[in-house]
Amino acid sequence: MSQKSERRGIHVDQSELLCKKGCGYYGNPAWQGFCSKCWREEYQRARQKQIQEDWALAERLQREEEAAYASSQGAQTQPTLAPFSKFEDKKTNVTTRKVTTVKKFFSPSSRAAPKKETQEAKAPSPSISRQSSVETDKVSRDFIDFLKNLQKPGRDIHKQCRVFLDTMANKKEVSAEEQSEYVQDFYQNVAEKLQVHFKGSSDRVERVMDQVEKYIMTRLYKSVFCPETTDDEKKDLAVQKRIRALHWVTLLMLCVPVNEDIPEVSDILVKAITDIIEMDSKRVPRDKLACITKCSKHIFNAIKITKKEPASADDFLPTLIYIVLKANPPRLQSNIQYITRFCNPSRLMTGEDGYYFTNLCCAVAFIEKLDAQSLNLSPEDFERYMSGQASPRRQDQDGYLSHVNNSPSLGQAYQNLEQLSGLGERQERVLEGARRLERDLIEWSDGVAREVQDILDKYPLEICPPASAIDSDNVENDRLPPPLQPQVFAG
Amino acid sequence: MSGQRVDAKVVMLGKEYVGKTSLVERYVHNRFLVGPYQNTIGAAFVAKPIHVGEKIVTLGIWDTAGSERYEAMSRIYYRGAKAAIVCYDLTDSSSFQRAKFWVKELQNCEEHCKIYLCGTKSDLVEDDRSMRKVDFHDVQDYADEIKAQLFETSSKSGHNVDELFQKVAEDYDQLYSFQQMTEEKGVDLCQKKNSTFYACCHH
Ligand SMILES: Nc1nc2c(ncn2[C@@H]2O[C@H](COP(=O)(O)OP(=O)(O)O)[C@@H](O)[C@H]2O)c(=O)[nH]1
Ligand SMILES: [Mg+2]
Repeated sequence: MSQKSERRGIHVDQSELLCKKGCGYYGNPAWQGFCSKCWREEYQRARQKQIQEDWALAERLQREEEAAYASSQGAQTQPTLAPFSKFEDKKTNVTTRKVTTVKKFFSPSSRAAPKKETQEAKAPSPSISRQSSVETDKVSRDFIDFLKNLQKPGRDIHKQCRVFLDTMANKKEVSAEEQSEYVQDFYQNVAEKLQVHFKGSSDRVERVMDQVEKYIMTRLYKSVFCPETTDDEKKDLAVQKRIRALHWVTLLMLCVPVNEDIPEVSDILVKAITDIIEMDSKRVPRDKLACITKCSKHIFNAIKITKKEPASADDFLPTLIYIVLKANPPRLQSNIQYITRFCNPSRLMTGEDGYYFTNLCCAVAFIEKLDAQSLNLSPEDFERYMSGQASPRRQDQDGYLSHVNNSPSLGQAYQNLEQLSGLGERQERVLEGARRLERDLIEWSDGVAREVQDILDKYPLEICPPASAIDSDNVENDRLPPPLQPQVFAG
Repeated sequence: MSGQRVDAKVVMLGKEYVGKTSLVERYVHNRFLVGPYQNTIGAAFVAKPIHVGEKIVTLGIWDTAGSERYEAMSRIYYRGAKAAIVCYDLTDSSSFQRAKFWVKELQNCEEHCKIYLCGTKSDLVEDDRSMRKVDFHDVQDYADEIKAQLFETSSKSGHNVDELFQKVAEDYDQLYSFQQMTEEKGVDLCQKKNSTFYACCHH
C-alpha cells in the first residue's frame, strides 16, 4: 500500500512508452510505437519488397533507356549491340544475387517476427513503402532523363551507379565510417572521370555530381541514416534532452541581435525554425544542406531588418544558436553525421552551404558545452534555471506575451502549453480522487473486518459434536455393495 | 541560391575588433563603415571570383565570430581551409599575441593551410607613428620563420587590401596547377580526407 501512495504527479503507464514489441527499449510514435531496432526488423520485409520493385523499375527504365539510345543512334545498331549483351550478363548476375538476399530475409529468425505483427502495425507499412518507392521511382526517372543529355558518359555513369549500389547492398553491416569512405571514393571516382570528359569545367562536373549524389543517396538513405552500428541515436536523444533543459535561455543572454517584437522579424524567425526542422524530412544530403541554408538566410534577414544593416558573423552565430534551441530539430546529430559522411565534399568544404553547415556544427558544439559563463550568468543562477527552481521568463513576461500576439504559431504554442498545464492539474485532481477512493476502500474493508471480528468475539461459534451420526457405528458396512470397478474393454 | 561554386576556402582569423569584417567588406564591396549597401544580406560568407592570368579562381571567404565566448568553436571554422588570413591590429600589441596563437593552432591542425599575416588599420599608424604597437620588422622575422606572407592593410583607405587577396588567389592557383601537373588530378587532393573532419566536432 505504501508503495502505491508514493506515486505522485502525472503518471503515464510505462508500458505505453515502451516498444510495442516488448523488447524493453522505448518506442517512438515516429516508428509506429516500435523502437528503432524493432521498427527496422518489422519493416525489412516491406523494404525488401520495395527493393524488388525498384529493381523491376530500374530494369524497365533500363530497357526504355536502351530503346531511346537505339532510336537516337538509328543506323549504328551494330556497335551498340556488344556492350548491350554485356549488360545483359551483368543483369542476370544481379538477379541471382538478389534472389540470395531475398532468401536471407526469409530465414527462420526473421520469419518469426512478422507473424506476430499486430493488425495496426501492419497497416502503415504498404503505404510507407509505396510512398518511398514512388519517390525513388521519380528520382530514378529524373536521373535517367538527366543522363540522356550527356550521351555516352551519361550511360557510363548510370552503369557505374548501378554497380556501386549493388556493392553497397552487400555492405550493410560495415561501420558508418567505412560506408562513408565507399561513397566518398565513389564520388571522387566519378568526379575524376567527369573532369576528364568536361576538360576541367568544374561547374559542369559539379552539376552532374549533384545528380549522382541525389540518385545514390535516395537509394542508400534508409540503410545508412542513423545506422545501428553507431551511437547516433543515443547522441540525438542526448542533444534533444540538453536543448529541452535549456528552454529558459533568452535572446538577451545570447546577445542575439534580433527584435522579436517586430512582427516581420518574428515571422521570419518562425520560418527559420520551420526550415531547420524540415531538414530531417529530406533524404539527399544536399537537400538537407539546402534547409540549413534557407534557415540561415532567414536569420540574416531577421538581423538585417532589426539592425538595419547587413549581419556579420558575430550576429549570425548567436542567432543560429537561439534558433536551434527554439526548434530542437529532430535527430540533429544523425542529420549532421549523415551530411558529413555522405555529402559531396566540395560543397561541404568550401561553398556557402558549407559555411552555414559549419555554423550549425558550431551551434551544436556551443549548446553541448554551454555553461553559466557563456550566458553571462552567475553559476548560481545558471544552476537554478537548469534545475527549474527559477525561470528568467518571469522578468520579461511582457516581451514574451507581446510576441505571442504577433506570431500566430507562437500564440498557438503558448495556448497549447496553457492547456497542457490545465490538463496536468486535472490529472492531478483525478489522481487525488483515486487515492481517496483507495483509502476509503481500505478503510471500508478494515471496518468490515473489524465488525466481523466483533461479532465473532460476541458470539463465538461453538461446534458441538453431533449427538449421532449416520455412520457412527458402521455395523452394516459389510453389507454395502462393492464399489464400481471400471471395466476395461480391449479393442 | 547557394549554387556558386568555390575553389578555395579562405578563413579570417583574429581577435575581436581587429578589423576582419571590415577587411572583407572593403575587399568585396569596396566600402568602409558607411556607404551604399549592396544587395547582400550578410557579410559572413562571400564567394569572390578573382582573375589570375587568364583563369578565374573563386575564393570562398569565411568570416568568423570573434567574440571570446565562441572562440573555442573557431577551430571548426578553419577545417579544410586552403588559406587563413590571420589579422592583428597594428595599434594593439595584445592582438598580435593572439595572432601567434592562431598560427600555432593552424600549424598543428591544418598543415595544408597557407598563412597570411595581416596587420590592420595601417591608416592609424600612418597618421601618428606613436600609435604603432607592433613593429614591422619583428613581424617580418616571425613571418619568415613560419613561412607566411605579411601584409599591412587599411580597410579605411583600402591600402594593400586588393593585393592581399590577389596574392591568396595567385598562390592557390599556382599550387593547384602544380598539383594537377604532378598528380594529374583535377580535384583537391585533400577533399576526401577533409570530409571526415567535421566528425571531430561532435564527441
Ligand atoms: N581606422 C581604421 N579603423 C578600422 C579599420 N578596420 C576596422 N576598423 C575599425 O575597427 C573596429 C572593428 O572592426 P571589425 O571589422 O568589426 O572587426 P572584427 O571584430 O575583427 O570583425 C570597427 O570600429 C572598425 O571601424 C581600418 O583599417 N582603419
Ligand atoms: Mg567581425
